Amino acid sequence: MSFFGFGQTADIEIVFDDADKRKVAEVKTDDGKKEKLLLYYDGETVSGKVNVTLRKPGSKLEHQGIKVELIGQIELFYDRGNHHEFISLVKELARPGDLLQHTSYPFEFANVEKPYEVYTGSNVRLRYFLRATIVRRLTDITKEVDIAVHTLCSYPDVLNSIKMEVGIEDCLHIEFEYNKSKYHLKDVIVGKIYFLLVRIKIKHMEISIIKRETTGSGPNTFTENETVAKYEIMDGAPVRGESIPIRVFLAGYDLTPTMRDINNKFSVRYYLNLVLMDTEDRRYFKQQEVILWRKSDKSRLPLHPHHPQTVSYQGHQSLRKQSVSSDDNSARATPSNPDPENVMQRSVSPSMPEKQNGPLQMEREKPEAFIDKLAGAHINENDTNDTSDEIEEPKPVEKLPVVDKPLIAEKPQIAEKPTLNRPEPAGSPNQ
Amino acid sequence: MAGIGHPFLYVWSTAQMTNQVSPVEEQEKLLEEALNIVKVQAFQMKRCLDKSKLMDALKHASTMLGELRTSLLSPKSYYELYMAITDELRHLELYLLEEFQKGRKVADLYELVQYAGNIVPRLYLLITVGLVYIKTNTNLRRDLLKDLVEMCRGVQHPLRGLFLRNYLLQCTRNVLPDTHEAPNENEGTVRDAVDFVLMNFAEMNKLWVRMQHQGHSRDKERRERERSELRILVGTNLVRLSQLESVTVEDYRRMVLPGILEQVVSCRDAIAQEYLMECIIQVFPDEFHLANLQPFLKSCAELQPGVNIKNIIIALIERLASYSQRNEGNMNLSVVLEDGQEQEVQLFEVFSDQVAAITQSRVDMPQEDMLSLQLALLKLAQRCHPDKLNYVDRVLAHTDKICTDIHQSSGQSTLEHHTPVFKELMKIIKLPCDHYKNILVLIKLSNYAPLIRHLSYQGRVMIAVHLINDVLETNTAISTPQDVEAVLGLLDVLVKDQPDQPPSESDVEDFVEEQGLLARLIHHFKSDSADQQYLITSTARKILQGGGARRIQHTFPPLVFHAYRLAFVYKDLKDQDEMWEKKCQKIFQFCHQTITMLVKAELAELPLRLYLQGALAISEIGFANHETIAYEFLSQAFSLYEDEISDSKAQLAAITLIIATFEQINCFGAENAEPMRTQCALAASKLLKKPDQSRAVALCSHLFWKGTRDGRPVWALNDASRALDCLKKAARVAQQCMDGGVQAQLLAELLGRYALLRERGNQSLTPSLIDAIIQKIREELANLDQSEEVEQITKHFHNTLQHLKNRIESPDPESLGYEGLTLS
Repeated sequence: MSFFGFGQTADIEIVFDDADKRKVAEVKTDDGKKEKLLLYYDGETVSGKVNVTLRKPGSKLEHQGIKVELIGQIELFYDRGNHHEFISLVKELARPGDLLQHTSYPFEFANVEKPYEVYTGSNVRLRYFLRATIVRRLTDITKEVDIAVHTLCSYPDVLNSIKMEVGIEDCLHIEFEYNKSKYHLKDVIVGKIYFLLVRIKIKHMEISIIKRETTGSGPNTFTENETVAKYEIMDGAPVRGESIPIRVFLAGYDLTPTMRDINNKFSVRYYLNLVLMDTEDRRYFKQQEVILWRKSDKSRLPLHPHHPQTVSYQGHQSLRKQSVSSDDNSARATPSNPDPENVMQRSVSPSMPEKQNGPLQMEREKPEAFIDKLAGAHINENDTNDTSDEIEEPKPVEKLPVVDKPLIAEKPQIAEKPTLNRPEPAGSPNQ
Repeated sequence: MAGIGHPFLYVWSTAQMTNQVSPVEEQEKLLEEALNIVKVQAFQMKRCLDKSKLMDALKHASTMLGELRTSLLSPKSYYELYMAITDELRHLELYLLEEFQKGRKVADLYELVQYAGNIVPRLYLLITVGLVYIKTNTNLRRDLLKDLVEMCRGVQHPLRGLFLRNYLLQCTRNVLPDTHEAPNENEGTVRDAVDFVLMNFAEMNKLWVRMQHQGHSRDKERRERERSELRILVGTNLVRLSQLESVTVEDYRRMVLPGILEQVVSCRDAIAQEYLMECIIQVFPDEFHLANLQPFLKSCAELQPGVNIKNIIIALIERLASYSQRNEGNMNLSVVLEDGQEQEVQLFEVFSDQVAAITQSRVDMPQEDMLSLQLALLKLAQRCHPDKLNYVDRVLAHTDKICTDIHQSSGQSTLEHHTPVFKELMKIIKLPCDHYKNILVLIKLSNYAPLIRHLSYQGRVMIAVHLINDVLETNTAISTPQDVEAVLGLLDVLVKDQPDQPPSESDVEDFVEEQGLLARLIHHFKSDSADQQYLITSTARKILQGGGARRIQHTFPPLVFHAYRLAFVYKDLKDQDEMWEKKCQKIFQFCHQTITMLVKAELAELPLRLYLQGALAISEIGFANHETIAYEFLSQAFSLYEDEISDSKAQLAAITLIIATFEQINCFGAENAEPMRTQCALAASKLLKKPDQSRAVALCSHLFWKGTRDGRPVWALNDASRALDCLKKAARVAQQCMDGGVQAQLLAELLGRYALLRERGNQSLTPSLIDAIIQKIREELANLDQSEEVEQITKHFHNTLQHLKNRIESPDPESLGYEGLTLS
């Protein structure tokens, strides 16, 4: 009936209780815009009213029932038709009948379990929404309202730091330390890079935060790597014995908690990638996964600048001592027990783990291959996915006027041949 | 947060990182481009600040700072860029400061600026903001300073790192805690300030040293030049440390100096070490240096072989020496030893020991540098310990040893002229001379004379001339025989022949000049005591007689005159000294010997004159037996004339002198006078040339007639007729001359002599004789053609006539007149 412009129709409005007091969170929508949504946590009750407003007061609206649903669903973009609902709660608000006037139906989903956090990635979206429906014979009148859900976490204060010695034999040995392996989203990464051996001409060093989103399973697995942040921590060439501080504030970046195997549909993991670039633009890097988690705001301590979060002096000293005590770097370079953790990845070798033939090898890119990787993601598993010539667009900063300029475009002329003897890429242990 | 949080992310400037440095002409262009960007961004930044859009302003600031990431600029251009940018950053700082002071504190600004993706802009912003935090809340001071200096480690590129840390240092210069007791421990104490600057210093120095090892070895020179352009940045750290007012001597000893020295020594870079050590010397107060001489000098010994330690130590010595002078030696020179005991130490002792240690330990040190160090020590000793001559002597002894070593290594016995070691040694030798301006002090330095001997012949001469000139200038009297001996010892090179002396023909003029100086010096060998003077003179002769004929002709005359003068002194002392006559005899004996030596040296005219002078003196003093001695002198002179003088002009001159001397001497009796004047007259008549003969014979008339001038009694041996004979003979000889002009001249002269002797009372010279001469002259003149010569003779003649005329008109009652002479 409404098709033809006559017959009754109605507007639905969903009003949440305490909407004015509840916190809101920004959530990215499909199209990349951000929306402010009411924020709920796991186990919280979602309640409110569904207001039905008749467009033509006076005449009645026939319906087959009115209901409100709370739905949590995962949408995989390559599979638009199939939405996987992991929560679907229904409340009947009215039995079939006629509506004669504006009516308001209160509803309450008590203590709803909301196991996952809302997420909008490049291939997947996880959302929660309320849907009110006036069931009718031909077309239902529906109204959907998204809500935001954050999952809170807490980890004990005593957290293990990440400490590792990596390198390329006779070329570069470094020891790095991140103060934690798990960071909350407003946390600060504090750390230190200690150079044990430097025989390459390093130009600069940066830390990037890489988000790796994996969707699907089996043969239909898609992995998307995205450099969320790129942060230069050193300019110029250090010499043996230098230690370079790391301090990265996470609050400014667009990060989500680490998500592992969300409903068997997808996962989001974060990696810290330590990248050193030499004067010939070869990149040496080491990725390390870190767990990101969301901390309850109430317990969050404000970050004050007068608490400089560098690694404590004592810690630094011990670090230094340790390295100094073993003067012989080669001894460090070849410990008896190979540890695959200590191998730095190299983006050109697709099957990196099998190829390690030295325990402390930090791998490096082939000079001709680095071009593809310059833009940000240097993750080897991703090679096939990444269009190699494309410069990766910095997604998290789309609002910024200045785009990450492709480094390759400004690649400097190499002025002088390095005086140091460097092993040819072909001679590297990986080839 | 996300909305405002990251205006800096991914802001990559166009400046690229490369090691390529463009040629000079490129530099200007590159700099100009960079400055233009800075101008634009700074303008935008300020506009945003005006509109209170802080985040946008920060973004522009960050873009502007991105220009400092360049690797294309030379240090000089980079500095200009840095200055332009930091100038603009001041606006940001002032804005923030104002906002903060108004209470409009921007939350988490310190965190916010750290989102800048590039480290160089990030750290500049961090420092700027950190400074604002410190200024508005001193409680943050200690931790923020620590944090900033630590975070700057991220910039390891030497040039960029140096400037970044310089910015840190500049910004914090007025906020460093400078007190021992902080009201609140978070504000920090001077200790924290010292730690902060020391750390910054160590890092900057490392970066600076690292510059040396980058790039090609062919660019070494350019790199070193660039490094020296940048050194002030490193040195500023030390300046800052020295500006901390609450740092005490004790703090300096415990915290500051060890920290600096450790870095300086361990960096093992000659350029850095040299500069920084000099920096330390220049920036810290003298008191600090005094209290820490040993650690400082000990570190000097540990510096790299290439370091010019000499300059460092010299700078320190000079600094302390002038300090000591300013305080007129009232220095507290107590030094705290390692065991904590205080000990009174002489500045010189400390340096002397350390310099010795350093010279010994550094085998590679150039020899001239060792000498320079001794020179500095010498200055120190002279300026700080003016009363301790033995210090000076110690330095000289040490120098002597070094020179001996140099000879050993070079195989030569003296230092070559114009070599660096020669120049240094010259300076060392001249220094005491110019300092004391007194040769009597120099001779007290037992190692001074040996030192001179290390110089080459030319060098020794230069020093000798220098020394003598000093004595002459200061008019120093050398008044004991020992001093004379010592002084002449210093001047050995002038006193006698040297083994390394060049052949004498080469520099006759110089030689004569040098000996002339020596002769002038001898006049300063004088004592108030007559006996002493005798000893001095004889000592001097003893030494000088070794100098050979070439020298004694210059050096003996002053000695002889000394002796003559001394004889007169004894004459004046005759009332006090009974022995005076004997002494005078001895003196003239001495003179006789001395002159004889000259004779033996085949000299003639000089001893002749000296004999004559002696004879005059003897006759005047008139001691016992003086007549004999005077006669001896005179006769010696005469025999010299006879035996040695052959040149006719010299003969005339000599005989003239002898005659004149005889005329002056009154002591002779007839027994001595007769042979003398006969011999003279004879000698005069034997002269070769007629005019000479005529003149000499005319002069002989004085041998026979002396006037009674000046109260002299009438001479007993006057013989009027023989005087006349002489004149007559002279006239006769004159007339034998062929040349009429010469004849006229001789006669005119003769006329004068007639007039003179007549006026002196010789009556034999009658007016008629005079008139005859006059007529003769007139005759002669009339025969002569006009010429200049003739005119002169005529004038002479007329003058004489005029004189006669005057005398006729107004006769002198004391003398004979010209009665009967008519002048027409």
